[in-house]
Amino acid sequence: MVEGGRDSDEGAFDELLTTAGYNVYSVTSGESALEEYSVRQPDLVLLDVDLPGIDGIETCRRLRTRHGEACAPIIFMKNGWELADDDASFPAGPVDFLAEPFVSRQALLHIRTHLETRRLAIHQQKLVAELRQASAGKDRLLSMCAHDLRNPLSAVSGLADFLTDPSIGSLNPEQTELVDSIREACQSMLKLVNQLLDFSSVETGELRLELAPASLRDFAERAVFLAAVIAARKGTRIVLQQASPDPVLMMDVMRIREVVDNLISNAVKYSPPGSCIHVMIESLPASPESVPQVRFSVRDQGPGVPAAERHRLFREFSRLSTCPTGGEKSTGLGLAICRKIIDLHGGHISSENQPEGGCVFSFTLPISPCN
Amino acid sequence: MQLTGHVLIADDEPHVRRYISLILRALGPVVVHQAASGEAALTLFHSLSPPPQLVILDINMPGIDGIETLRRLRAEGVECPIVMLTSLATRQVVEGAIAAGATGYLRKDTPRAEISALLMDVWKAVAPADAPPPVESSEPSLVPPL
Repeated sequence: MVEGGRDSDEGAFDELLTTAGYNVYSVTSGESALEEYSVRQPDLVLLDVDLPGIDGIETCRRLRTRHGEACAPIIFMKNGWELADDDASFPAGPVDFLAEPFVSRQALLHIRTHLETRRLAIHQQKLVAELRQASAGKDRLLSMCAHDLRNPLSAVSGLADFLTDPSIGSLNPEQTELVDSIREACQSMLKLVNQLLDFSSVETGELRLELAPASLRDFAERAVFLAAVIAARKGTRIVLQQASPDPVLMMDVMRIREVVDNLISNAVKYSPPGSCIHVMIESLPASPESVPQVRFSVRDQGPGVPAAERHRLFREFSRLSTCPTGGEKSTGLGLAICRKIIDLHGGHISSENQPEGGCVFSFTLPISPCN
Repeated sequence: MQLTGHVLIADDEPHVRRYISLILRALGPVVVHQAASGEAALTLFHSLSPPPQLVILDINMPGIDGIETLRRLRAEGVECPIVMLTSLATRQVVEGAIAAGATGYLRKDTPRAEISALLMDVWKAVAPADAPPPVESSEPSLVPPL
């Protein structure tokens, strides 16, 4: 699509493009360019900067606003290009400038390059969309697999378990051995199903780390700030204590932030009104058993975790029965995902009830020699 | 403490119903009522008097699924604990269940001890101080008494 105000040059240029095999639609104003664009959906737009009415720069801006990412590449044309115009037009988002009068072949090469880039970009978008669809299909298949396999396997494994239950009656030693074999085989199959699901991250969402140097202090301050607003509604205070120095670690910033947010918001959820939550970041020196580490901990004055529930705290099997103090919703999946994130970083996550009441949730991250 | 009273369990997989029933019966003198679908669970729930004190619903069932069954029971004002069974605990599934009013959820491959512990926890939270002994049910049950 070519838009221009001057007849003589435009006619020649149109002809040049037509001869080169392009379909050319010419219009003579910014307004008609906007209209014609929607009708023709061109692959490339050539805009004269100096137009009566809406000029080329404004037309470009409107086209890009209206059509966003999908907007065709726009090339500005101007008779006797000057640097001052260049400055004004650049922010409007053209892909190229052509100064008139053109060197025909050079202009054609520019146009051809941008059309090719456009074609490749569209092709790539299509491929990405197809891949996404294929990947979603794979996830659905895996979900079906998990459902169809876990269901009967869980029943077989559980029922076999009951065969050895004294309440059912006793088995002779050989029968007991056979039942144990059934249970073991079921367990290893269930483990395979779980590994398959872990690998595809169907249950936990994508879990691949993107490591970059960062410090915990930045998130902690932000997380405390955000949580303090919610905590204040329940009359709960949050105190952040940090020891210097503030070591820089290799971590997946988004993921660790998720863990920090989760631990702090959990503490707020389970804290009684009027209590205080202590968030602490400290450096642990190297010991014979471990490299130097950073420890992040959240101490609350809540009910703590009942001893019977401790072992399943970080597992994704079931939800804890302890109720949040403000009627908040809790899925129980959060801590299982936190554990996976910290494990992948080579760290350790744990919880500990305090003798004086309340609970400390903490994780450590190694400070590796490269830091 | 023992699990007592009436429990309704709905799962389209009879083996899973049997397994969960065995776990429940090992926890106390409980009467287990079984349904193979969401529709059957709703009908059975309304036919029981007194109503069940605990409901266990499989999420993935043909017809009215577990979440919809849960939603309908809550909409009727049913307040007893309702625990969801799932073979795939995605964040979406779990959040959907909790939002619809589930008391908790159990992944089906959870070790038996853990299933028992969660069911007892749920029960403890609602059990009356001195629960009356359960009335023998005339409902046919797929599970022979232990």
